[in-house]
Amino acid sequence: MASTDQNHKLRIDFCGMKFNSPLVLLSGCVGFGEEYTRVAGFSNRDVGAVCLKGTTGSARLGNPAHRVYETPMGMLNAIGLQNPGVDRVVDGILPTLDFDETRFIANVSGSTIEEYIAVTRRFDDSPIDAIEINISCPNVKEGGVAFGNDPDMSARVVAACRAVTRKPLITKLSPNQTDIAENARRCIEAGTDGFAVINTLMGMAVDIETRTPVIGNNQGGLSGPAIKPVALLKVHQVHQVCKAHGIPIIGQGGVTTAEDALEFLIAGASAVGVGTALFYDPLVCPKINQGILAYLHRHGLDQVGQLTGSLSLNQSPVRHTPACGG
Amino acid sequence: MTNPATKPHRGTIHLEEAAILTHQAYPGDQYVLRVQAPACAAKALPGSFAHLQCDPLLAMRRPLSIMRVDPQQGWVEFLYKAVGEGTRLLARRQPGETLSLLGPIGVPFQVHPERPRPLLLGGGVGIPPMVFLADSLRADTAWQPFVVMGSEVPFPFQARPSQFLVPGLPEGVIAAMPLLEDWGIPSRLASLQGYPGVFEGYVTDLARAWLQGLTDAERTEVEVFSCGPHPMLEAVAHLAREFDLPCQVSLEEFMACAVGGCAGCTVEIQTPDGPAMKRVCVDGPVFDAQQVFR
Ligand SMILES: Cc1cc2nc3c(=O)[nH]c(=O)nc-3n(C[C@H](O)[C@H](O)[C@H](O)COP(=O)(O)OP(=O)(O)OC[C@H]3O[C@@H](n4cnc5c(N)ncnc54)[C@H](O)[C@@H]3O)c2cc1C
Ligand SMILES: Cc1cc2nc3c(=O)[nH]c(=O)nc-3n(C[C@H](O)[C@H](O)[C@H](O)COP(=O)(O)O)c2cc1C
Ligand code: FES
Repeated sequence: MASTDQNHKLRIDFCGMKFNSPLVLLSGCVGFGEEYTRVAGFSNRDVGAVCLKGTTGSARLGNPAHRVYETPMGMLNAIGLQNPGVDRVVDGILPTLDFDETRFIANVSGSTIEEYIAVTRRFDDSPIDAIEINISCPNVKEGGVAFGNDPDMSARVVAACRAVTRKPLITKLSPNQTDIAENARRCIEAGTDGFAVINTLMGMAVDIETRTPVIGNNQGGLSGPAIKPVALLKVHQVHQVCKAHGIPIIGQGGVTTAEDALEFLIAGASAVGVGTALFYDPLVCPKINQGILAYLHRHGLDQVGQLTGSLSLNQSPVRHTPACGG
Repeated sequence: MTNPATKPHRGTIHLEEAAILTHQAYPGDQYVLRVQAPACAAKALPGSFAHLQCDPLLAMRRPLSIMRVDPQQGWVEFLYKAVGEGTRLLARRQPGETLSLLGPIGVPFQVHPERPRPLLLGGGVGIPPMVFLADSLRADTAWQPFVVMGSEVPFPFQARPSQFLVPGLPEGVIAAMPLLEDWGIPSRLASLQGYPGVFEGYVTDLARAWLQGLTDAERTEVEVFSCGPHPMLEAVAHLAREFDLPCQVSLEEFMACAVGGCAGCTVEIQTPDGPAMKRVCVDGPVFDAQQVFR
């Protein structure tokens, strides 16, 4: 990590794992952990953990083109969980990763509960540090968000995975649901150790010349700065449920600067995910780390963890505020 | 500890704050942009591209093929057409400003000494990698390349009559790219727009005429390289198959990361084990045409 004897201030404990920094590289943005090391100056050591691409029981070719498209302050993606299948990931890819550099987290997906169980079980018997259950992928027909938007189904998936692994289990929640706090409550009962909040929001872009959706899958997941306010509120809401249980959150959605990361920490996150921002600046993480350190120094704080959930809400700011916020 | 020998990919792509040296506008919304990016210039190969921040207001970069580099002076040159928001914002950038450049990226074109007659076919903004490839061949006289460039907007250079006689071509097709003339590389132009000295028809029609003008023995020494719009590449792939020639094409697809991380830019490739999705950014952009077009 870049310079200074201050770096210890960035260390956190996340579900029993030691992170050198609260930053986490997000699933689907960094392939299977080595892709970004192509960029000179990039290092997995700059982050606390790296989440690998969503992995399923058997190989998936993914969705047709176009799979990515820029939108105002963000982008749509519909990759469709392209991955070589869990056996190839465990046997072929994990042995090539350097576990000295950072913690590696698997991202598990499936079309059935049985598939979630099988993939989790396979990762349980591997060097992977933790398992993130993706019940919020908007880009596949079965499973994914169909599970994540139903608290009953979410809890069933989490309980089923919990039964087959002792590794830290992180549940990735969808913002595309009515009551994320209720869902979080059910997932805690089902045995999750942590949360990732939020996955992408569903969206569409239309090509007005052809009158077809730009994205091959018709709809895609919206990420990047455009979704940050939504993500912050969801992190705050989930934190309200989590804090009594000491369950940590990887806050994510549109983080591009240290200020963004600080907002997430204050709203209730213990760690902060960086995904889409890498596409614009592959070397953004050391800058965010430095910015967080400068803030800690300025505020006389010893540990980044002191910020988590330090938000104090405004007390009845205006009387008779309509619920719609208008 | 990380063993560098097992991770040769590491540190191969550079992020540089590139100063704009020159930025020249041409008819048809085309621009030639030269920037100072020494790390990219040192490692770029024909077929490599860079991922550019057109404007700080945009969340995403844009991929552009590298047309020329000067590793000694450290500059990299692009030719692009302003087609949408990103490239239009790029067109406004002035010499003296800087822009963030990520490059060089991608698997380059591979020439083979047993095929010393490379046929280079560039269409529209597919011209840049063909210029780069031609540039790399000029040092060694063993290579006898022939280049055909096609465009439906005015060519981004002042065409001039070729000094080279090329057998097989229709009469009057004499317009050539001046840079290639200076390099001693024969070239011709094709367009449906009826420009003087320019072949009226498709790049592939002129290429076919050239191939038919070769002896059988000469034809076995040809390898085809192409970059351009998808329908053109498809026609090139069919031409190559018709003449039983190996053919490499450079593809385009929308990109997010351009370093292999997002799988956003994939194309379907036919392999002996069935269809596979390959990333245009790091598995390409150059692919074997027969694996792309059936
Ligand atoms: C490897 C590679 C090399 C390229 N080389 C050149 C070149 O040398 N000269 C040149 O003029 N153009 C080149 N292109 C195409 C160029 O990247 C697009 O024209 C450009 O991205 C359009 O962006 P825009 O915002 O102006 O257009 P818009 O149409 O507004 O773009 C909207 C979105 O779609 C994407 N997009 C649209 N068309 C393309 C396309 N053809 N390829 C990739 N993404 C696209 C953009 O990146 C953007 O995210 C290349 C593309 C690739 C993949
Ligand atoms: C191209 C792309 C692919 C993604 N793939 C996955 C995935 O496989 N599994 C998953 O849980 N989330 C996936 N995501 C969601 C991200 O991990 C992250 O939650 C989301 O993009 C919000 O963060 P960001 O705005 O920082 O990118 C993907 C996001 C993008 C942009
Ligand atoms: S653009 Fe991300 S993998 Fe090619």
